[in-house]
Amino acid sequence: MKVGAIARNTFKEAMRDRVLYLLFFFAAVGIVASRLLAVLTVGDRVKIIKDVGLASVSLFGVLMAILMGTGLVYKEIDKKTIFTLLSKPIHRAQFLLGKFLGLVLTLFIMTVLMSLIFLGLLYAHTFRVEWSMLLAIVFMLLEFCLITAVAILFSTFSTPILSSIFSLAFYLIGHLSWGLEILIRKMRPGLSRTLAQALYLFLPDLENFNFKTEVVHALPIPPKMFAGSAAYGVFYTLFILILAMLVFRKKDFI
Amino acid sequence: MSQAVTPRRVPDAFLLVLGLCLAMAAFMAVKAGTDGIARAKVPGSSIIYVPSGQYLKYATFGYSPLAADLVYLWAIQYYGTYEIQDRFAYLDHIFSIINELDPRYVDPYEVGSLIAAQEAKDIPLALKILDRGLEKNPDQWIFPFEAGHVAQMVRDYDRAGDYFKKAMVMPGAPDFVRRLYADSLYKTADYKSAWGIWSGIYNSASDERVKKIASNHLYQVKAAADIQVLKDAVAGFKDRCNRLPRSLDNLAAAGFLPSIPRDLDEKDYVYDPRTGDVKAATIPWKR
Repeated sequence: MKVGAIARNTFKEAMRDRVLYLLFFFAAVGIVASRLLAVLTVGDRVKIIKDVGLASVSLFGVLMAILMGTGLVYKEIDKKTIFTLLSKPIHRAQFLLGKFLGLVLTLFIMTVLMSLIFLGLLYAHTFRVEWSMLLAIVFMLLEFCLITAVAILFSTFSTPILSSIFSLAFYLIGHLSWGLEILIRKMRPGLSRTLAQALYLFLPDLENFNFKTEVVHALPIPPKMFAGSAAYGVFYTLFILILAMLVFRKKDFI
Repeated sequence: MSQAVTPRRVPDAFLLVLGLCLAMAAFMAVKAGTDGIARAKVPGSSIIYVPSGQYLKYATFGYSPLAADLVYLWAIQYYGTYEIQDRFAYLDHIFSIINELDPRYVDPYEVGSLIAAQEAKDIPLALKILDRGLEKNPDQWIFPFEAGHVAQMVRDYDRAGDYFKKAMVMPGAPDFVRRLYADSLYKTADYKSAWGIWSGIYNSASDERVKKIASNHLYQVKAAADIQVLKDAVAGFKDRCNRLPRSLDNLAAAGFLPSIPRDLDEKDYVYDPRTGDVKAATIPWKR
């Protein structure tokens, strides 16, 4: 109940934020601009629309998660509204969980709206609803949840600007960590290789949520991959949220 | 006396740390598991949609040399991965991106051409990459020099000679490039030009080693030219007399040659009257 109340308020607060609408506007422009880019290509125009459209949803979704998430806790501390909240019988973990769920709900609504524009544009070209695109978008939403948790983690101990930079770095690492695997394959067995393997497993692998290539090229996706990616997203998000709770429970607001 | 209150946060913290460890173990285990699942891929999909370096340069915000380094590093790993069967399909595209991002970066031209020539066995592509290097770096003798070697790989000595000729007049080109040019002339049977170049090298040589090399090559060029003349004369003799000459002196006596040439060391050429074959008396490198 307490978590639900905080989540509802966070959702209302987020929906009043102009940054959200600004990002949504640019996302919509990006999706619609895919039609213009498609004109420049030689060959399959729909592919360009799908690529640019999915990239817009992904990029602006991540930006929403980072820019909104990094300010969530900091704003409460900065405006001192957190004193009123925590003076009530609310556990700090419940507070963070409520904030997280509120923002996830906001991102869900925004992703649905962006997807509607994207699918609408695709429909105008192919005259059929490309449901397969939703598969990639669902996993994007999982990625947004993880990024939101990361943004909240950083916002518990840092300023919004630094938290945004850290979260962005997390996002970039997450999409580049596969490179470490190539390095590991070229390393000789030993301590350094074992450490690199442990680091590889620990670092986020956001490519697990990236099914854009598969859906655009209609490639088969192993069913195990869905379950694996979903479980990975849930466990990693849980890990980050628990870490945020541990940091936040020791936080001194004075 | 009030009873001591057990702190509530201790079990909370313990549960959180336990949850943290379990979540970490879970996501690492899942990651290890999902890594084993083979996902379908579009061949070359990681690079197929990368725009040309010319356009990519604008997207690097002034960090194009850094971008060139990164693409080059990636390319080395990519071409070192032998499991990618069709990795050569985009060789030109990848290296042209690096070349456009940093045209003065010499290594990618050399490595790109090496991969094209040695691994992809695509000689025209290797030459194309080196030609691009020369076009963007007209002061670098290394590009026509390497291109000469690549052309030699397919025994295209005319082309090799053109490249070595280009390289030898460029600033900084070492002396041996001129020797390679002379050798390629010899291999195209242009003995007159080869003799001229080797004579120049012999006369201008500052050390005995180079003088000896030039001398051996002069021996080789003269022997090749003389043997060609002798073999033509033997063939003419056979046409007229329906037999091979018994010795080379028969050729002069029959008027096919004004005199019988001798090698650079004034030794007679070795003639086999049974086959009509003519050889030099000495192997040039054992003189």
